[in-house]
Amino acid sequence: MVAVLVGNHYEVLGIDARATPDQVERAYRFCLEMYGDASVAIYSLLDPEEQRRARSRVQEAYEVLRDPFRRHDYDVSQGFARPGAPMPSLPRPAAGPVPVRVAPPPPPRLPAPQVLEPPVDGAALRRFREGRGISLKEIAARSKIGVRYLEYIEGDRHALLPAPVYLRGFLQEYARATGLEPQRTAEAYMSRVRRAPET
Amino acid sequence: MMEALPAVVPATSARPRRQVWSVGGGKGGIGKSLITAALGFQLARVGRKVVLVDADLGGANLHTCLGLSGPSLTLGDFICRRAERIEDVLVETGVPGLRLISGASDFLGAANIRYAQKVRVLNRIRALDVDIILMDLGAGTSFNIIDFFLVSDVGILTVVPEPTSIENGYRFIKSALYRRLRGAATNNTVRAIVDSALDQKNPGGIRSPLDLLAAVEREDPASVPALKQQMTSFHPRFVVNQVRDPSDVSIGHQLVTACARHLGVKATYAGYVPFDDSVWRCVRQRRLFLSAMPDCPSAQKVRELARGLLQGESLALTW
Repeated sequence: MVAVLVGNHYEVLGIDARATPDQVERAYRFCLEMYGDASVAIYSLLDPEEQRRARSRVQEAYEVLRDPFRRHDYDVSQGFARPGAPMPSLPRPAAGPVPVRVAPPPPPRLPAPQVLEPPVDGAALRRFREGRGISLKEIAARSKIGVRYLEYIEGDRHALLPAPVYLRGFLQEYARATGLEPQRTAEAYMSRVRRAPET
Repeated sequence: MMEALPAVVPATSARPRRQVWSVGGGKGGIGKSLITAALGFQLARVGRKVVLVDADLGGANLHTCLGLSGPSLTLGDFICRRAERIEDVLVETGVPGLRLISGASDFLGAANIRYAQKVRVLNRIRALDVDIILMDLGAGTSFNIIDFFLVSDVGILTVVPEPTSIENGYRFIKSALYRRLRGAATNNTVRAIVDSALDQKNPGGIRSPLDLLAAVEREDPASVPALKQQMTSFHPRFVVNQVRDPSDVSIGHQLVTACARHLGVKATYAGYVPFDDSVWRCVRQRRLFLSAMPDCPSAQKVRELARGLLQGESLALTW
């Protein structure tokens, strides 16, 4: 099998290693058109099989270069970037297909529910949650409680919290999601709400 | 049929400003003559002394593109020595600075002139007191056409956005390059490899100049640098004619990219000319669109094309 398109991913797309995401996108579209089935520029140069291989090589290069994380790893592995070099902040190109992101790995199985030492306030809950590496979004997704209310809980914004009957439920859900014992956590937090309403 | 003398005629260096430009393209009916006439007109308009040469022997019609009737003396008369001097077959076009050596009504045998005659024609044309000699080459990839193309300082390759035209364009490039490589071959091994490459179904599987280089590398590595040198000094310039939409414009960039990647040829994209009804109407009236309808889109693009070619610029692929 003769290689139809040789070189690194940048050479395959015909761009510089410093190309912006926008340039990657445009170069990809150009190559796709050039090696496409309807291309007049290539049909007498490559046979259909070579054309197909060229297309898949273009696709392979694009899949790596359009993804900031994979591109960074590739750059490091190819010597285009030093290990530890800052990740470029790469805005997604506006046009083009929405990149398929790989789902993050599921959170590790949590150990037995824990009981916090008083005072069980918003700051204590946040410290514990962050220690477990769990985001508010993850709790919101799991508990169906809006991120806004979770922020109120962690911010001790007592006046903005719902009525106690609902708040108890919210706190128990929060506790389950982070690995705290639900009943005692909710009770400890609510005792502070009753005692010290937000000023 | 292989001719005996593959060497190309070197350009004379006596007059640095004088250049030979040629307009080729593998296929007929893609606008070579019209683009040649229009370019010649524009170059003359910006002050160059231009001689158009209708080297499409056997199929000449450059005079018609310029709205002239066939002159009484033509290039064929000079070739078979019915006219002694090249100046005898040079006619005025009515455009200041633009003269024509017509190929009109030349005998069909003129298309098969011998190499020695070709050299004589080229040398006499080069000796004319002009800035730019602009040759309209015929369709096809015969040695006559290719040799004129290869001696040019600026080799323009016309295509239209159709598979047949582009296929012939690539064939033209390969034929021209193989001819040049054969001329640069210093031994029979390399010559045999080049000759085999001319057969599309050659047993060595050589389908491109890059394959050819690889084959020479295996058989006679010492010859590779000389062949590479020939390849890098070969710069066809694409003109895409009858462009109808932006994707047609992009074809010029695709051709340049494809040449670099799959043929190892460094071509450039000189420009494009839109498909334009005004041009067609002017042809029907035997008037040059550049003078009859100077504001039509095609005329504008021809002016850009001429300017770019004069300045050695090309359309770059920018992202």
